[in-house]
Amino acid sequence: MPKVLVCYKWVLDEQDIKIKAGDLSLDSGRAKGKISDYDKNAIEAAVLLVEKYGGSAAALTFGNTKVKQSLKDALSRGPGQAYWIGDDAIADKADAFITANILAAAIRKTDSYDLILCGEGSSDVYNQQIAPRIATLLEIPIVTFVKEIGIETEKVIATRKLGECTETIEIKGPAVISVLPEINKPRIPSLKQVMAAAKKPSAEIKVSDLGLARDDLEAKVVVLSDAGYVMNRKNILFKEASQADNVAKLVANLAQEGIS
Amino acid sequence: MPGIWVYSEDNTLARQLLTAGQKLKETMGQPLGVIAISGEEIHAFIAAGADKVYVLQGENSWPESYAGAVADIISKEAASVLLIGGTLRGKDVAAKVAAKRKTGLVTDALTVKYANNRIETTRLVYGGLAVRTEAVSLPALVTIPPRTYAEAEPAADRQGEISTIDAANKDTRLEIRNVCPIVREAVDISTAQRIVCVGRGLAKKEDLAAVEKLVKAIGAEIGCTRGLSEDYHWLPNERYIGISGQKVKPELYISLGVSGQVQHVVGMRDSKLIVAVDTNEKAPIFAAADYGIVGDLYEVLPLLTEAMANK
Repeated sequence: MPKVLVCYKWVLDEQDIKIKAGDLSLDSGRAKGKISDYDKNAIEAAVLLVEKYGGSAAALTFGNTKVKQSLKDALSRGPGQAYWIGDDAIADKADAFITANILAAAIRKTDSYDLILCGEGSSDVYNQQIAPRIATLLEIPIVTFVKEIGIETEKVIATRKLGECTETIEIKGPAVISVLPEINKPRIPSLKQVMAAAKKPSAEIKVSDLGLARDDLEAKVVVLSDAGYVMNRKNILFKEASQADNVAKLVANLAQEGIS
Repeated sequence: MPGIWVYSEDNTLARQLLTAGQKLKETMGQPLGVIAISGEEIHAFIAAGADKVYVLQGENSWPESYAGAVADIISKEAASVLLIGGTLRGKDVAAKVAAKRKTGLVTDALTVKYANNRIETTRLVYGGLAVRTEAVSLPALVTIPPRTYAEAEPAADRQGEISTIDAANKDTRLEIRNVCPIVREAVDISTAQRIVCVGRGLAKKEDLAAVEKLVKAIGAEIGCTRGLSEDYHWLPNERYIGISGQKVKPELYISLGVSGQVQHVVGMRDSKLIVAVDTNEKAPIFAAADYGIVGDLYEVLPLLTEAMANK
């Protein structure tokens, strides 16, 4: 009967971010928020474990005050309750160091868990640091890049996938696990699940209640600038009604490029 | 004393990082050291620029268990910079060392330099849409992906200090049950000179046969988007191209029915010539392409195969 906590991040949907033609700066003014794609797999993994072995799944997120918008989506995916920490001033400068300090302190404050699940990285900045950092702060083992999780009499069995091999690891006692996207296919919440989510409990945690020192909230990594990646391609389009003509033009151009 | 340190569980990657380390050594005026978990290449490290080498010896052979020992050395040596080989195992260790030492860490840096008494790095964010420049205060940790730098050239007659350290890395909470090498196909598409990549525009698995005809006609390898391998399992995972899959740089890259989400484009945008076929004229793939045909791949593919086969 595992008690599972899943951490997730509310991120900007990168598909909505536009690159400004002049200075290549990013315009995220119209970007909608979403639960980080990789974290949807972590939420699904937590819920599947509870469906199979019993116990409970809770969700935890930290970000700016907009993270409150994520609760309904997170809860409709199956966790029984959610904790959220929304702080604009801190989220604005939070690097992985700050984020891990806040999440680890919040985990200590809420409950003790058998398993803490995270995605392998976030779909916005993909630092891949949070799971190992919080495990280190909580002084419990971490198994990263996991594609399969099972439970056998008091032990968690996790199979990792690394570049050159897979590795199966037995874990005793509480642990953090980061999951790969291939671990599952996240459910699309049904209307019933969305309705049920509205009735599930969610609790706000204030950063000021976490007992963190000022140094714990000072970023070690600061962002100097973002610039859109520019592709210089010919962008020649063949769009006549006759595909035979289009293909002929393409093949002629490829021949000029030295490709036949 | 302060210094620049390199750590990787992979000795080849450690020698690549020594190239980056040597540049920092010049700008920062600090010695360069290597932390390794195997003692096989100590002299190669010294020849490649290391002034000091630590070899960690623990009873636990799991590379991930050496984070505590690496953190201790960083602390004892008052390291300014630790460059870590950006394998998955390396990234795991890096984040643990950063948490133990309360430092910043930059993941998958494309460039690393010393400026304004800190380390400045660039890396891709938002699925490859943008390049982010960041500054990390010292001591700074940075992971660098494999093959970002060439291996440092060995020099004759270099001297270096060698120490072996016992790492107390036993962990009774974790037990490695079995390790299975992943059996891969003989082909490695990351080195292919021509690639035909299929996306969700392909309606069913059986239609791969028609794609294979084009692949054969032009002497290419077949690749795919993440959905076709991870969701549909039509092609093996090592053939999917994208930020979390293969990064390819062929002379010719032809995409069929690929919409061109940024996560995919990152994996192919360094190709020499890019051709795209898609029904949607507004698909982002055309922004990444030199030549594009707006049309149904089922109509274009046979015509293109025939035209290329007759060459």
